[in-house]
Amino acid sequence: MEKNIYLVGSGLTPFGEWWGESLRDLMEEAIAAALKSSHLNATEIDMVIVANMLAEVTNNQSGLGALASSLLPHHPPALRVESACGSGALALHTACAFLESKRAKTVLVLGVEKMTDASVDAVSQALMGAADSELDAPSGLTFPGIFGLITRRYMHEFGLTREQLSVVSAVHHRNAHENPFAQFRQKLTPEDVTASPLVSDPLRLFDCSPISDGAAACILSTIHKSPLRIAASQMTSDTLSITERPTIVSFKATREAMSRALKESDIDRSDIKVVETHDCFSIASVINMEDLGFAKQGEGIRIYEDIYAGRTPLFLNNSGGLKACGHPVAATGIKQLIEVGKYLKDTSTQWGLAHNFGGAAASCGIHIMENTNA
Amino acid sequence: MNNGAPIIHRSLKRERDRFLPGTVVSFTTLTHPPVRFGHRPRTIGLIELNNGQRVLAPILSENKPFIGQQVRPRMRLSHATADGLRVYEVAYEALAGKAVQLQKFPGYILALTGPSGVGKSTISRTLARVFSEYAENVPILTTRDPKKSDDGEYVYTTPKEFELLRRAGVIVSSTNIPSSTEKRQYGYRSTDIEAIWNKGKLPIVVTEIRLLKGLAHHYGRQSILSFGLLPPGKSKRAKLSALLHRLRTRGRETEAHIRDRMKNAEHDLAFFLERKDLFDHMVVNEDLSSVIASVKEKVPKFSGI
Repeated sequence: MEKNIYLVGSGLTPFGEWWGESLRDLMEEAIAAALKSSHLNATEIDMVIVANMLAEVTNNQSGLGALASSLLPHHPPALRVESACGSGALALHTACAFLESKRAKTVLVLGVEKMTDASVDAVSQALMGAADSELDAPSGLTFPGIFGLITRRYMHEFGLTREQLSVVSAVHHRNAHENPFAQFRQKLTPEDVTASPLVSDPLRLFDCSPISDGAAACILSTIHKSPLRIAASQMTSDTLSITERPTIVSFKATREAMSRALKESDIDRSDIKVVETHDCFSIASVINMEDLGFAKQGEGIRIYEDIYAGRTPLFLNNSGGLKACGHPVAATGIKQLIEVGKYLKDTSTQWGLAHNFGGAAASCGIHIMENTNA
Repeated sequence: MNNGAPIIHRSLKRERDRFLPGTVVSFTTLTHPPVRFGHRPRTIGLIELNNGQRVLAPILSENKPFIGQQVRPRMRLSHATADGLRVYEVAYEALAGKAVQLQKFPGYILALTGPSGVGKSTISRTLARVFSEYAENVPILTTRDPKKSDDGEYVYTTPKEFELLRRAGVIVSSTNIPSSTEKRQYGYRSTDIEAIWNKGKLPIVVTEIRLLKGLAHHYGRQSILSFGLLPPGKSKRAKLSALLHRLRTRGRETEAHIRDRMKNAEHDLAFFLERKDLFDHMVVNEDLSSVIASVKEKVPKFSGI
């Protein structure tokens, strides 16, 4: 990083189905919580970056930058960014760029999605915007379908079994049990996951992250300090369509972002002890463990098996991940960074990582955070 | 939100350019596909085509497909949009569990398909006469009673015997042509087709929808030199009226039979569009000599004679 960027405040709405809350209500709640935790005055924010994917479809709302800005008394300049489910990481990355270039000194980064206003079919179709509308969507494929294809191929190549895969969601639900902001806090056994209804064979209902409402906000600053420093911010891209990739069981965008982020933060992978990874579907988590370099290819599931058996020191998806904490699309990447910061502080750990991707990892954002007090 | 029609159109155009057989890389079955595709589960495959490109498309298979399975494309009606636009798509048909590419190529069969009255029998008889050294008609096994107008193209049998032969696998393709006036079964015996091959000749078969599908399934699509015969006329109505005229002038059938045949003919014409993949050439039967010339030009065994 060109400059030291600190996470000086953060706030979340609980993730869930909030029928009574509007897009604006969710934004307002997260911003208020972030300002409160930062002890800053709202007028000290000199830029707002809003991440959102679907407001035009689910809420008939564009102009999200101005909408967010209007929630602050001095209406600072605002920018909306979109990179599907990776929008949150993109907003953080954009904020870092403004801070490094000195165009801004204190930036409010906000991710928001209000998905339950629209029908499931409409949301499902809109989410397919994160795949190629002419190469992928006309076949009738949905995102669970894309990851169903990926799961079947992965099982074929590496012999992963249905029972093994079920451990992933069991771990996430167990973690969410302790998280007051999580959408699903009940525990699940692997057997519950295996017995849940089929969605896109071999993926089942409890392999899939839900449709959620929620917002997450954080304040990044170069002039106000905190123990939490952003040590790396990297974004990468891959082809939008899975038909244009040589393999679907590993994501190039994640591998590249990870290698660049480690270089930027100048640390070793083994230094990282806290990870929030993008588990939109349970298979994604397994692949992510391999692409992030925590497991060899074909062995990503072992990390989850170890965590479930209490055998590993890695703090993985403590929030409950996208599966159990909920996945209000563009809020997820920012929530991940907030969660990593929280666990670094709570456990006095030095290094943590947030890994967020869009589509089938067509874009990927990785942020590495350092707890300078650890 | 746009209704997706231009997107679907462009997508389909691209798909048509990739109308090739391929191999299943992966597949999934959506329990609840998007509403526009109806409420039945939909199996979608990631398919690597024989030119190396990959596509996503529905897989049509009675059994669960498998990774590495060979598939071949076919056009089919997908759904209708809210505006009434009928959307067609390329779907991939899973070939039988056994590896079809390893099937021995048995030889060619010349198949003539078309609605009743289009002139299939006349053309096949003429071809067999003109190219008698090179081709021979395959007799049609039927359970119906002989008619005066039959001209040696049928071999007659009882329904019981027909069923026995079908079960024994001697009849490689059969059909039960729906009719309100009689129960009629037709089929081809492998022994007849193979005997013609053994003479070094090209078997000529007169088929309809199910017979053609059955032959393609048994011997492999690549073994069928498939000609679709169309009656003259620009519109469907003109084509049907040309057929009606021919059926009436040949004077073989009663009016009840003709009504039956016209109903089937309409279905047959639609089949040409639905299953373009089953036809190598479409020929309009304006007059016999031009059809014979056209077939001659397109059949390697005949050209140069």
